[in-house]
Amino acid sequence: MPELRKTPMLDQLLDGPFPSFVKEIKKGAEKNEACNDLLGQLELSYEEKITHWKHGGIVGVTGYGGGVIGRYSDVPEQFPGLTEFHTMRVNQPAGWFYKTDRLRKLLDIWEKRGSGLTNFHGATGDIILLGTHTDELQNVADDLAHEGWDLGGSGSDLRTPSACVGPGRCEWACIDTLDIVDTLTRRYQNELHRPMWPYKFKIKISGCANDGVAAKARADCSIIGTWKDNIQVNRTEVVNYVNGGFDIIGQVVDKCPTKCISYNPVTKSLSIDDNNCVRCHNCINKMPKALRQGKINGATILIGGHAPILQSAFMSWVVVPFMEMKPPYTEISDLLEKIWEWWDENGKMRERTGELIYRLGMRSFLKATGLPAVPQMVLHPRTNPFFFWDKEEVNQ
Amino acid sequence: MPFIDVNGEQLEVDEDGFLQDPEKWNEDVAKYLAKTEQVEELTEEHWKMVNYLHDYFKKYQIAPMVRKLCKDNGMDLKKVYELFPTGPAKGACKIAGLPKPTGCV
Amino acid sequence: MVKTDFGPPKYLDMMSDLCKRNYGKWKYHEVLDTGTLVHVAENGEKLYTVRSATPRLIHIDTLRVFCDLADKYCNGFFRFTSRHSIEFLLEDESNIEPLKADLHAMGYSPGGVGNTISNMLHTQGWIHCHTPAIDASGIVKAVMDEVFDYYTEAKLPARLRLSLACCLNMCGAVHCSDVAIVGIHRVPPKVLDEKVAKMCEIPNVVAACPTRAIRPEPAKKSVVINDEKCMYCGNCYTMCPAIPIFDPKNDGAAIFVGGKVSDARHPAMFSKLAVPYIPNEPPKWPTVVKTVRMLIDVYAKDAKQGERYGEWINRIGWERFFKVTGLPFTDKHIDDYIFSVPTFRSTATFKW
Repeated sequence: MPELRKTPMLDQLLDGPFPSFVKEIKKGAEKNEACNDLLGQLELSYEEKITHWKHGGIVGVTGYGGGVIGRYSDVPEQFPGLTEFHTMRVNQPAGWFYKTDRLRKLLDIWEKRGSGLTNFHGATGDIILLGTHTDELQNVADDLAHEGWDLGGSGSDLRTPSACVGPGRCEWACIDTLDIVDTLTRRYQNELHRPMWPYKFKIKISGCANDGVAAKARADCSIIGTWKDNIQVNRTEVVNYVNGGFDIIGQVVDKCPTKCISYNPVTKSLSIDDNNCVRCHNCINKMPKALRQGKINGATILIGGHAPILQSAFMSWVVVPFMEMKPPYTEISDLLEKIWEWWDENGKMRERTGELIYRLGMRSFLKATGLPAVPQMVLHPRTNPFFFWDKEEVNQ
Repeated sequence: MPFIDVNGEQLEVDEDGFLQDPEKWNEDVAKYLAKTEQVEELTEEHWKMVNYLHDYFKKYQIAPMVRKLCKDNGMDLKKVYELFPTGPAKGACKIAGLPKPTGCV
Repeated sequence: MVKTDFGPPKYLDMMSDLCKRNYGKWKYHEVLDTGTLVHVAENGEKLYTVRSATPRLIHIDTLRVFCDLADKYCNGFFRFTSRHSIEFLLEDESNIEPLKADLHAMGYSPGGVGNTISNMLHTQGWIHCHTPAIDASGIVKAVMDEVFDYYTEAKLPARLRLSLACCLNMCGAVHCSDVAIVGIHRVPPKVLDEKVAKMCEIPNVVAACPTRAIRPEPAKKSVVINDEKCMYCGNCYTMCPAIPIFDPKNDGAAIFVGGKVSDARHPAMFSKLAVPYIPNEPPKWPTVVKTVRMLIDVYAKDAKQGERYGEWINRIGWERFFKVTGLPFTDKHIDDYIFSVPTFRSTATFKW
C-alpha cells in the first residue's frame, strides 16, 4: 500500500465536534487505493476551487437502463485509482429501517468490490455506493441481488420512491406510508429500472402535514396523509399540559391559522371548531398526548414538485384533496398511470410533469386524468378573464 | 481517449466506448460496438433499430425519446432490452454511432 | 439469467418485533432530550430513539461499528432519517446512556431532536459530482462545527432545517429550507465548438436554456451563447459536456432563508435570497460559516417561541430582516426570472 496522500487543507476538517467526512475517507485510504486517490483529488479541488470529475458517463448492468452513474476523474494520471469511480444506487428498505445482519452483507460486498465509501443516503433516498470500476459493476449488482438488494433508479425513469417512518414508529401516520411506498416500488419495477419517459419522476410519501420527507418540495407526485373528521381531544391530558406550565394560548390558540381553537382558563378546557380546521397539525404537534388526528384517514395527492431550473422551482399542488389509501392502492395507481401516459405522450425531452401542466394548463391535465376541478386546488380563482372553452361547451 | 481498432482503422471512443466522430460510423463499426454491448450478432431486428437511430440522429441531431423509439419500431421496451440487454441509451445508441446521451442522472 | 426487478428488502424484515407488534398503534411520543425520543404504543410498550447526525459520506467500517452498537443495545435494529442521521431504536431504557457514551467515544454526538438544528441535508460536491459550483461536505462540516451548540442544545424558537446544494440542480430541498446554501456560477459557460459538434445533441442544448440565450451555429455545427441573456444555471452543461461553466474565480455560494415544507401554522414556503454571493474559501469557508451563524443567532434572539425562520420574517417584514441582520439589499434580491411580478410590493405600508 502506498503512503497516504498529503492533504494539509482537508486535514483542517478532521477536528471539531461534528463527525468528519475526511476521517471517513482516510479510513478507506488505509486499505484502498481509490480512497487514497480520492483524498488527493479532493485536496486538489480544494486548492483549485473546481471539481475534477468529468461530465457524467454512461455505464450500467445487464437488463437495466438505470441505477448506475458513470464517473471518471479528469486527472487520472495523477490519481489512477479514480480512473473509473462509478456510483451505484441501491433501493433502500421503506422508511430506511435496517437489520444489522442484512446490512452487513451489503457492506461486505462493497468492501470486496468497491471503494468502501457510501452515502446513507442520497437525496432521493437510495443507499449510494461511491466508486467502483466498470468491470465490477455487474459483479456488484449480482452479489447484491444474491443478498436481496436491488438497484434504484436514475435517468429518465421512476426514481426510487421514498417515505417517512410512518406507522413503523409514529403516531401521526394517517396512511401506511411504508406499505404504500413498498407496494408502488414493487409494482413499478420496470418503470424504475428502465428509463422510458421524457424525464425523471419522483414519488414521495409523508404520513402527515409535517411532510417529513419533503414530498411537496421534491416529488412530482407527493402523497401526504390527512384526515376528514374531527381532532380527538383528551380533556385530562389538556389539563395536564396546562398544569405542567405549557403555554397553551401562545403555542396553540394564537398559532392556529384559522383561529378555530379556543381555551377556557376557568374550566381548563380546549374547544375546536372543526368546521374551520384546515388540519395544519400545529396543535397536535404541540400537544401530542392531548390531541390526536381524526379517524377517517386518507391522503392528499399533489403533483408537480421539483427544484430546478427551466420554469423555476415548483411546490406540488393539489389534484386530489382526499383519497382513501387502502391496499392494493388501485386508485393512486390508476391516477399515476394516467399521468404517465399523458406526460409521456405530450412531454418534451427533459420536461417534468409539473412543467408540462404549466405549459398545457390544468384544464388539459384534468381532462386527461378525468379528475374534477375543485376549489381545494387553488388559493383563489383566477383574476383574469382570459380562459378557454372547448367546442362542445359553446353553442354551435 | 482510448481507441478501438476496426479493420485496421483506429477510431477514437470516449471512456464509455461511444464513438467520438459520428462520420466514422459504418456497418463494421456497428458490429464491433455490438460485441461490447452484449449483442453477439446483429440480426435484422437489430439492424432495423440501429439504422433507425442512426437516421433519426442524422435528420434531427438528437436521439429519439424512448416512447418514440418503441412506437416507430413497433417494439415494446421489453423487446428493446431483449435485443439490446444494456438498454436503448447505452446499448442501441452506442451501436448506432450516436454521441453519448446526456441529461440528468 | 440474472435476477432482476425483485425490489428492495421488505421493510418488515428490517423491523424489530416491538415495532412490528405496535405497527400503526403508536399513541404519542415525547422528546426526552435533544438526542432522545420515546414513542409510546397503545399497549404501553415504549420504544426509545437515540438520534445522531452523520456526515452522510460514511465508510463501511463506521457502518459496521453502528451495526455493532445496534447489536449490543438494539437487538440489531436501527434506521436512518431523510436527513442523513442515524436513529438507534432501543427497547431497554437503561441502554440509552451506555449507547450515548459509546457514540461519543467514536466521535458522534446525539442531537437534532426538537427545537434544534437537525443534521444538514446536502449533496456530493467535489467529492463525486460533475456539476458543482461549491463543495458540499467541507462546507457542511465547517458550518455544523460552528453551529454545533444549536444541534445539541434546544435553544431555538422552533426547529431549523439547514441544507446545501452544490449547484442549481438543487438535489436536496434547499428551495424549502430555513437556511440554505446553494452553489452558483457567475459567468457564462465557454463553448468548445469542435467538441460540441461531436459530442452534443444541439437541439436539446438549445432547449435546455431557460432564457433562450443559446442558438445554433450551423456553420460550425455548434451553438453560440448570448452572454447578456445567460444567468449561468449550467443546464446546458448538463446536456453537453463541451460547454463547461466552471470558473474558480467566480463560483461560490448564495444563501437563502425562510423556507419550510411542513404545513403547520403557515403553509409550506419557498426559501428566499438573503446573500447573493460568497466566494469559495476552502477548506473552511469562513465567510459562509460566519454568515450562517449570524443568520441563526439573529433568529434565535428575535423570533417568538414556536416561529419558524420564515414565519419570523413574515412577522417582522423583509425590510426589518435586512436591518437586523445587517445584510445589504441589492438588485440581485429583486426577482427578474419568470414569476417575478407577484413578488413586487404594491402597498405603501412599510416598516422603517
